Amino acid sequence: MTTPATIEQQSLGDVSDLPTVTFGHRTLMWWGTVGFMVIEGWTLAILLAGYFYVRQNFIGWPPLRVDVPSMRIPTINLLILLGSMVPAFLAAQAARRLDTPGVRIWLLITSLVSVPIPILRWYELWALNVRWDTNAYGTAAWLLVGTHATLLLLDVFDTFGLTLFYWFKKMPVRVMSDVVDNSFYWYFMVLSWIPLYLIVYLGPRLF
Amino acid sequence: MMRAGRLALVILLGACSGQQNALDPASAQNRSITVMFWAMLVVASLIWLAVTAAFLVPAVRQRRTTREEAEPAFEVPAETSRRQTRIVSAATAGTVLILLLFLIYDFGVGRALAAHPGRALTIELVGHQWWWEVHYADPDPSKIVIDANELHLPVGQPVQIKLVSRDVIHSFWVPNLIGKRDLIPGYTSSIFFTADRPGVYRAQCAEFCGHEHAKMALAVVAHPANEFVAWLDRQRTPAAEPSDSLATSGKHVFLSAACSKCHAITGVEAYSTVGPNLTHLASRRTLAAGTLPNTRGNLGGWIVDPQSIKPGARMPSNQLESRDLVALLAYLQTLK
Amino acid sequence: MRARSGRSSIEQEDVTLPPPEPIDREQLEMNARQLDVTWRDPGGLWGWLTTVDHKSIAKRYIITALLMFIAGGIEAAMMRMQLAVPENSLLGPDRYNQVFTTHGTTMMFLFAVPIMNAMGLYFVPLMVGARTIAFPRLNAFGYYAYLVGVVFLYVSLFLNTGPDAGWTAYLPLAGPQFSPGHRVDVWAQVVTFTEIAALAAAVNIIVTTLKMRAPGMSLNRIPLFVWAQLVVSFMIVFAMPAVATASTLMLAADRAVSTHWFNPAEGGDALLWQHVFWFFGHPEVYIIFLPGLGMVTPIVETFCRRRVFGYDALVLANITTGFFSFGLWVHHMFATPIPELGQSLFTAASMLIAIPTGIQIFCWIATMWSGRPRLTTAMLFVLGFLFTFVIGGLTGVMLASVTFDKQAHDTFFVVSHLHYVLIGGAVMPLLGAFYFWFPKVTGRMLNETLGKWNFWLFVIGVNVAFFPMHILGLNGMPRRIYSYLAESGWGPLNLLATAGAVVVVASVAIFLVNAALSWRSGAVAGPNPWASSGLEWATTSPAPSYNFVHTPLVLGRHPLWDSVGPLPVITGLRHDRREVLVTTAFDARPDHRHIEPEASIWPFVMSLAMGVTWIGSIFTPWAVLIGLGMTLLVILGWGWESSRVKDAELVETEDRLVEAV
Repeated sequence: MTTPATIEQQSLGDVSDLPTVTFGHRTLMWWGTVGFMVIEGWTLAILLAGYFYVRQNFIGWPPLRVDVPSMRIPTINLLILLGSMVPAFLAAQAARRLDTPGVRIWLLITSLVSVPIPILRWYELWALNVRWDTNAYGTAAWLLVGTHATLLLLDVFDTFGLTLFYWFKKMPVRVMSDVVDNSFYWYFMVLSWIPLYLIVYLGPRLF
Repeated sequence: MMRAGRLALVILLGACSGQQNALDPASAQNRSITVMFWAMLVVASLIWLAVTAAFLVPAVRQRRTTREEAEPAFEVPAETSRRQTRIVSAATAGTVLILLLFLIYDFGVGRALAAHPGRALTIELVGHQWWWEVHYADPDPSKIVIDANELHLPVGQPVQIKLVSRDVIHSFWVPNLIGKRDLIPGYTSSIFFTADRPGVYRAQCAEFCGHEHAKMALAVVAHPANEFVAWLDRQRTPAAEPSDSLATSGKHVFLSAACSKCHAITGVEAYSTVGPNLTHLASRRTLAAGTLPNTRGNLGGWIVDPQSIKPGARMPSNQLESRDLVALLAYLQTLK
Repeated sequence: MRARSGRSSIEQEDVTLPPPEPIDREQLEMNARQLDVTWRDPGGLWGWLTTVDHKSIAKRYIITALLMFIAGGIEAAMMRMQLAVPENSLLGPDRYNQVFTTHGTTMMFLFAVPIMNAMGLYFVPLMVGARTIAFPRLNAFGYYAYLVGVVFLYVSLFLNTGPDAGWTAYLPLAGPQFSPGHRVDVWAQVVTFTEIAALAAAVNIIVTTLKMRAPGMSLNRIPLFVWAQLVVSFMIVFAMPAVATASTLMLAADRAVSTHWFNPAEGGDALLWQHVFWFFGHPEVYIIFLPGLGMVTPIVETFCRRRVFGYDALVLANITTGFFSFGLWVHHMFATPIPELGQSLFTAASMLIAIPTGIQIFCWIATMWSGRPRLTTAMLFVLGFLFTFVIGGLTGVMLASVTFDKQAHDTFFVVSHLHYVLIGGAVMPLLGAFYFWFPKVTGRMLNETLGKWNFWLFVIGVNVAFFPMHILGLNGMPRRIYSYLAESGWGPLNLLATAGAVVVVASVAIFLVNAALSWRSGAVAGPNPWASSGLEWATTSPAPSYNFVHTPLVLGRHPLWDSVGPLPVITGLRHDRREVLVTTAFDARPDHRHIEPEASIWPFVMSLAMGVTWIGSIFTPWAVLIGLGMTLLVILGWGWESSRVKDAELVETEDRLVEAV
């Protein structure tokens, strides 16, 4: 009977000195995070393609008797989103320094700053000034904003979760790397919104 | 051995002729498509034979027994590798060349087929679940003909078929004459071809459209040009008034039962376009979109219980007194 | 210690290695015992539900997918029985439409993609010398998501709400107006579950392959099986979101909340569905086919006793095929009214993609010519693949012509083509792979005599069943019809096809019998019964839960053929916690040590939350919100588990743990 020990082996090196905590692209989680960004970003790109595809079936855009989307609340939310990248960035910096108090503070601030974001997102949907079931224009706009909203909700929730853990639990050092990845994902969530905001809210006013 | 050979020949010949057969061209367009197919088939067969020989030869000639222990893996001499690289590169270059030639040939055929013939007879097909509405266009509205489930066209004259759908995606495919084209709600598409042989062909819906997709066919009749003109003129006449009393009472049955709610007959107070137009029902070869031959018995069975013939069809059952049914059938059979 | 590196145009620099230190047997046994304690699963039902061992999960995938293959095969047999004679009444239209839809959906979503993923999930970590897969809990979750899809589809079928609009669910037929009820909703959600599973598998395979390879396994030394899985995983990442968007964000939305993506009356478009679906659908068939090609190389190498001809060409061909497969999708739409100039571009692409596949075939044939072929069952299936797939590939080139396609599209000619390429190009290599790797998974050999019967019946049956369909298609027989008239003349060839199907059923039955018998009483297999070259053969059969006692050191493309003497390894990973070695992406230099999770219930719970979300959404849109809430709670639990301080972590001091920033 062959056991693993019957396979003859000879050692040509030892890795026990290697670290167990690293950051950025050296970690597996970073790659997983990038993987999810690609998947979700590509989904948004496909929805955008659908948005432009149905546009061919309309003469006016927005269609006749539909108002252009209001820009007030979307612009406010965009500014908050852009601003929220700052505490997220500072949380990541603190994590790289292994500064637990710093991570706590900046995660908390990021969480607080992001509280209005999902609430305003609800109003951004209605700021489209058309219902999802009115016509294909309304459908495409709602689905674009709505799909990004699920990304946003998940990300805000993840951040809240991490914040709670860092405040109420002893955390292993290696999770600092997850704080950096969380901020990385946060930037993606915000930056992926910019082209959507421009196309869905500003676009109908320009074209 | 001989019998197998003869059977194969019979199958082969059967494969190349028929009324619903892409390999039995009855139009100029399909002739060039079929020629292209045979050319592709010959080349593909030769390639397949070459590849099969290429792997069978070493598999058989150089094989080692499977019973003994495997010999150790070995290195291939550099000279062999170089020779193999040359051969594989040549095979690749050959593949690229054959494909490019195919492409050029195909584009040539495609462009020829896409060239619009200019003046063409326009016929519109409207797809429904699960029947075909046929409109013969004319600048004079009184000369427009509306028919169902049968398409007539002249030999030797370009025909343009416009395709629209009232519900889901269907596809019009008359293999002897031309490749298929989808009927897509929200779109109007068209194909054109010129039949060059008189005959009766069969078309069938070729895009899954629900329950009775399998029974949505269309007889396609190609007439010599003058016969077509005569046929179209006959179609333009409204329904003949019934001459005998049985047929007259049959017409009353038609108008008083549920029939006129869905079916129109020109010249009679029945205008509904939900179902097929019946003005010249008796001149059609088939019933229920190519499902049954058009005989008195089949027609009676269809009227009384369409669901047993084509379950899911939109036509409901009609419980008629047998006396009424006989009269109705007599009337319908006058609608030539 | 000398080693020959694999012959390639990018030569590996010879690294100065320290002098080898043999590891004695007692030491190895102690290490193995410790590792077993650390890596084994808890027992009982809890152990079954919480395992994150990639091999256990992959085995479940394979068994479930084989059950789906049988189910899909039964559906096929039912169709062949119905179509064997004209005007048959075995299956009415409603039943037949459910059967052909379920057959396609089962084979494409529930058999083919999952089983190819599963082969990757099982073998990639072993082939790259890793202890486990990159994200073990994500892997387990992927399996449960897939299982939810399987159960949901078949329960619905038995409740007479199986989908019936084709596996392609064209609109408007599959929309709310023409497919009322929940049948198409079932389809849309099954697609959601299976696509989530495929994405989970893909991310796992990509990260494992790029970051967890054994030291020395630079990119140009990765086995071709792994290359194929890597390419396919990238394809999944870009293709699956399209079908997810189409089925969940477009079709399910139109049906549940009256959006208008596909409603022409309100500016929607029936062709939008076809574009988005086929943008996924075409790469999907290559996602199924390329792993099969990846299985061919190791089998050919092993049984011709030489390193494959043209490694670089094979790698590039895989990548090229994967990439360009995204540029072909319109060839499924040649009969629609899209502009002809656009269609021609897709003709060119669809023909030219034959070139990389052709190159791969030429390389394998060259390997055989300069090799010494042993015709074991695995090798026979490779020959069967060459015989059968090439026919499908050639009819594919024919179909690339818009002109010819307009005659053959939506007829039995296409049915024949697709089965030739999928069965010839994916199932035959897969069967060969089973014969080849069964010993590694179970520790026993499959029976070769039964294997030869399996093989011959399969090749004959498949060709007799499907070849006549080429003729039937050109003779006017459309696809997806439940019956046909006697005067069509299609009867005899249909009967012949059915006879072929019967032979295929017999062949599959023999395979199942072979597997069942051999599992318990097949000849016992050692670590490397075929004297093959990959790292998976450098451990026991079956592999222990931790795969390797020590991480192998790779000195060439064919590790077990390139080194002589005891297996060269790198020591140093801890045995008291689940430590894996993470290496650099290009050169596989050791970079750091990573701690993988232990057994966890969260993947299973997550699949339940997800099941509630998507199955519930069929009945009310609010289920999406409730389900989302449940999912968020599960994420919390999952994250809590990730941030548990494990005992073994408290031992080391901070400056040993962390790399200076």
